Amino acid sequence: MPDADRPAGMDRRKFLTVLGATSGGALALSGCSTSRVEKLVPYLVQSEDQIPGIPTWYASTCTECEAGCGVHVRTREGRAVKLEGNPEHPVNQGKLCSRGQAALQGLYNPGRVKTPLARKPDGSFGPITWDDAIARLAGKLAPAGGKVAVLSGAGPGSFSDFLAEWTAALGGKLVRWTPFDHEPVRAANRQVFGLDQLPAHDFANAKYILSFGADFLESWLSPTENQRGFAEAHGFSDGDVAKFVYVGARRDLTGLNADEWLSVKPGTEAALALAVANVVAGGNPPAGLGSALAQFTPAFAAQETGVPAAVIERVAREFAAAKPGLAVAGGIGAQHAGATELCAAVNLLNYVAGNVGQTVRFGADLPAGDGYAGMARLEAAMDAGEVGVLLVHEANPVYALPRASGFAARLAKVPYKVAVGLFLDETAAACDLVLPAHHALERWDDLAPRTGVRSLMQPVMEPVFDSHAPGDILLLVAKKAGGLLGKFTDASWEARLRSRWQALAAERNASDAGEFWRGALQRGGLFDPAPEPTQVSLTEGASEVTYTRPAFDGNAALVFLAYPHPMLHDGRGTNKPWLLENADPVTKITWHSWVELAPETARRMNVENGEILRLTSPHGTIEAPAYVYPGLRPDVVAMPLGFGHTAYGAFAQGRGVNALDLLGAPKGEYVAYASTRVAAEKTGAWKKLATVEGVPRQLGRGIAEAMPVAAAKQKLSLEEYHLEAHEPEHEFNPPLEVQALKGWSESQQRMATKGDYTRDLPKWGMAIDLARCTGCQACVTACYAENNIPTIGEQEILKGREMTWMRIERYWEDAETPDQPPSARFIPMLCQHCANAPCEPVCPVYAAYHTADGLNGQVYNRCVGTRYCANNCPYKVRYFNWYKYNDLAWPEPLNLQLNPDVTVRARGVMEKCTFCIQRIRATQNQARVESRGIRDGEFTTACAQACPSDAIVFGNMMDPESRVAAIKQDPRGYHVLEEINTRPAITYLAKVLHPVEA
Amino acid sequence: MRTLGFVIGGVGLSGLAVLLALGGETTAAQPVLTPPDSSAAPAVVDTGALKGPRQPIFFRHDIHAGQFKIQCQYCHYSVAVSTEPGIPSIQTCMGCHLVVSGSDSGAKTEIKKLRQAWNEKKPVEWVRVHTLARFAHFPHQRHIKALGPSACTTCHGDVSRMPQVFKVNNINNMGFCVTCHLERKVTRDCSVCHY
Repeated sequence: MPDADRPAGMDRRKFLTVLGATSGGALALSGCSTSRVEKLVPYLVQSEDQIPGIPTWYASTCTECEAGCGVHVRTREGRAVKLEGNPEHPVNQGKLCSRGQAALQGLYNPGRVKTPLARKPDGSFGPITWDDAIARLAGKLAPAGGKVAVLSGAGPGSFSDFLAEWTAALGGKLVRWTPFDHEPVRAANRQVFGLDQLPAHDFANAKYILSFGADFLESWLSPTENQRGFAEAHGFSDGDVAKFVYVGARRDLTGLNADEWLSVKPGTEAALALAVANVVAGGNPPAGLGSALAQFTPAFAAQETGVPAAVIERVAREFAAAKPGLAVAGGIGAQHAGATELCAAVNLLNYVAGNVGQTVRFGADLPAGDGYAGMARLEAAMDAGEVGVLLVHEANPVYALPRASGFAARLAKVPYKVAVGLFLDETAAACDLVLPAHHALERWDDLAPRTGVRSLMQPVMEPVFDSHAPGDILLLVAKKAGGLLGKFTDASWEARLRSRWQALAAERNASDAGEFWRGALQRGGLFDPAPEPTQVSLTEGASEVTYTRPAFDGNAALVFLAYPHPMLHDGRGTNKPWLLENADPVTKITWHSWVELAPETARRMNVENGEILRLTSPHGTIEAPAYVYPGLRPDVVAMPLGFGHTAYGAFAQGRGVNALDLLGAPKGEYVAYASTRVAAEKTGAWKKLATVEGVPRQLGRGIAEAMPVAAAKQKLSLEEYHLEAHEPEHEFNPPLEVQALKGWSESQQRMATKGDYTRDLPKWGMAIDLARCTGCQACVTACYAENNIPTIGEQEILKGREMTWMRIERYWEDAETPDQPPSARFIPMLCQHCANAPCEPVCPVYAAYHTADGLNGQVYNRCVGTRYCANNCPYKVRYFNWYKYNDLAWPEPLNLQLNPDVTVRARGVMEKCTFCIQRIRATQNQARVESRGIRDGEFTTACAQACPSDAIVFGNMMDPESRVAAIKQDPRGYHVLEEINTRPAITYLAKVLHPVEA
Repeated sequence: MRTLGFVIGGVGLSGLAVLLALGGETTAAQPVLTPPDSSAAPAVVDTGALKGPRQPIFFRHDIHAGQFKIQCQYCHYSVAVSTEPGIPSIQTCMGCHLVVSGSDSGAKTEIKKLRQAWNEKKPVEWVRVHTLARFAHFPHQRHIKALGPSACTTCHGDVSRMPQVFKVNNINNMGFCVTCHLERKVTRDCSVCHY
């Protein structure tokens, strides 16, 4: 698929100008005017790998987090328009999370630095030329001597290696740092196994998953890969369903996917882990451990954690019985002062249960920087005046370290600071020189995110702004400065990278280095089979694993958890409107920060949603609106990270508050995000939450259905299960109504056989497996990207005008006993493409109508905006353009991301999911040109393509061989609101639950 | 009647064009394009009287497609494979006009403009004649597949007789599309074009 056969020719592209004829196409509105004079601007030289109207695909690598997923970039007429997962890539296997997909909004972000900037005497920045910029930096390096320090957020790969050589040549210091470097996990692995690395985790083969605060579906290590594995293990396919127990003070998205939540007192997870390990080991702990575990009885853990001893013992027995199981720890929400102890305890647990080497595979060596320890060394050097020139590359410590750490003050004292990056973030804004770097989609590079994977990046388009690849910046500086750097004489960064790959080809005994390179470029990199897991054994440190009763910073009543926002991560996503508008999957809040507190705490304080609370810690005070969240302990308040930027572009600035302001200066090797106590008080002020949550309970409507594992195994249909369980499926209509509806339904079906509809045409349909769906919302981002859906901003969300064609509903299911917290069910909700659609007959202008291939069509140019259809839609999946979103949603150059195959809708038009009709039509066109039919799986919708859990399957229901037709036969299948006889084209498969244990 | 076929070999920045006369003996690098009199494009004296928008270069379809019978797809290269017909790159023009300089002063002037654009690396900004509203999608390749490679005239008129291209049919009038679809008994589903 990726047209990487022709990797060369980048220089030729310099000759290109964008073909205005088609690339301008999507920018205009669906107005009727054709009287404007339009220009057709041809290429000067036609690029060999571009045909107008046909997408060209390039394989590349995502750099939005450290996981290193492979991507395929769809380009049209020389600009990237969509990112999808690379199916051949071993990390993500064709799937991509929201953050990865939103990389496109980083590429086209209006907040990008457009030219080199230098600080003027008056303190403001002014643009300078590249020659000037390089000369300035080169001129500072020689006088600084060895007092050069480099702080880089780049992952391992050729660039990081080059940066290390470059820095070493100057005699400087290099620190590689990203905010979540998983230091406790690595420290624990050093202590227990003597290995300073991050292992790979095989969720897919785990029969029982225990997470101690690790948010592996959102942020932890490699979320897309984890999620794919988790869906394999925890989804239902005729066999067993892995049980997933979440241990932590707050249920994050990962926690909401758990079958059971053990709500432990904050900071005490390690006691529970050790008790479980103790029970699993029985009276027979492995050699080298001695009696280290003996004292951690379930009774002790019960006393520490607040979880009953019987429950701990049951979980331990279940965990021991499931072979293999998998226990994980090290999430940021549980990164408190005792986080290393917790990770070490979980290491022991995995070891005694025999999971190490099975589901915990050392040897993969996942990437991590130098951690906070590295940062502390840099800070010490800055304090000692040993840093004369500081180069900051793609890192933002001024924002992402707690303010109390004093990094900003230290930075101010460094004589000359240079930022190399894409954005004028908080750190760059404090520098003297800002050098704009290429986005990952604009440059050559490679990443080695684990053993055996070397993932390539290639420029997929001309740079949007006047930027350089960071590698080229280093080379230009070396050329200018000479001296110690004089040995770096490569013609360009690309040449240097190519020569490295030539060496790699020689290493691999490739007969033709060019062929080797082209092959790797086409696949997206060099992928060796996953290494056999390293055999590990316990070191002496294992017997020292212990549990310390948590101590907190401060004396106030509530423990404060700061956790990574699933969309914004450490705050690097906050300048991308897709990630701001795509709600937090747990709270469904968009665009601003919030404080979560438990219902019990809220009652006690008499607080309601939206009331602004003031949180005070020994280190600071912040104010944010309250959100009452039942997945939280009463003694805890929680806040997402990622908000409160003071720089970083118009989208990010002035949006919410930075939760890090409450934390103290980091002590030890990592930032403790969950070890501070705060006092909460009411301010009396209010803020309406910009939430997209509807009614949070199902009220007996049977929307997101579920059945127990036993019933699913017996292949009971939902109806049979409900009858057997003697519970009403949902509130039935009275008999007369049912009878009436039946007659109506039959007459409708007779009608449906008339006209075009009997012809041999496809009928497009979809199946969504709720047992696999985790509610991550990657599908929603994919829909925004594919269908030119405008982001409308906080004020419009407050008016309920969100445009998400696809949304994930999160329903609370009340537990049977009131003392138990509710559980969550997620269901993707999009146009159901009803065969008997209520929206169609009410449209006075036939804009909503049924197509011959079973789609519920919406003709924008017919629509006059009566909104009758939306009023009559029982699924609430039609969205109205209330305002000139098309003018506001894509400030230049963000408009370049628009998909030229999809009309940009104007004000006053109703819009909704089309089942990605542009993909259907494109495939039909291609099949027709080749005089053949459409093959099953030849294309799919954007949401199904993106889904990391593979929960969504799309295809032709009329083709009995198609995957979707087979899945629709599943006894778990049902239609939402079936009783109103809309006959949807979307079949949901009921979620499969483990029985609730007392 | 002699047919001229053009084969471009080794198109690089040199833009070297090799012209072969099919059905006759191969000519050298400087072919003489002598049109048969019957199809010779008329001389245009008053360009102001021509229909259609005035273009930055007076490119004559009637000479290229009419007189010399260059196939439409030689320049509009992607019409059979893509929704977009493709606008020829300046390099495509220069493939011939590196050696073809025009026979009269009018042509010479226009070809000079082209060469200037090429040398200055400034693509010519043509004025668009046929524009479809952006909410309508017209896949060129399916129409070429169904109607054949010379079906362009159905919508665009016989450009091989137009010194300056003008709009023959109001392609933006949906009735124009639907009439044809009705006649040929093919789909009239709205969402085939509108999405």
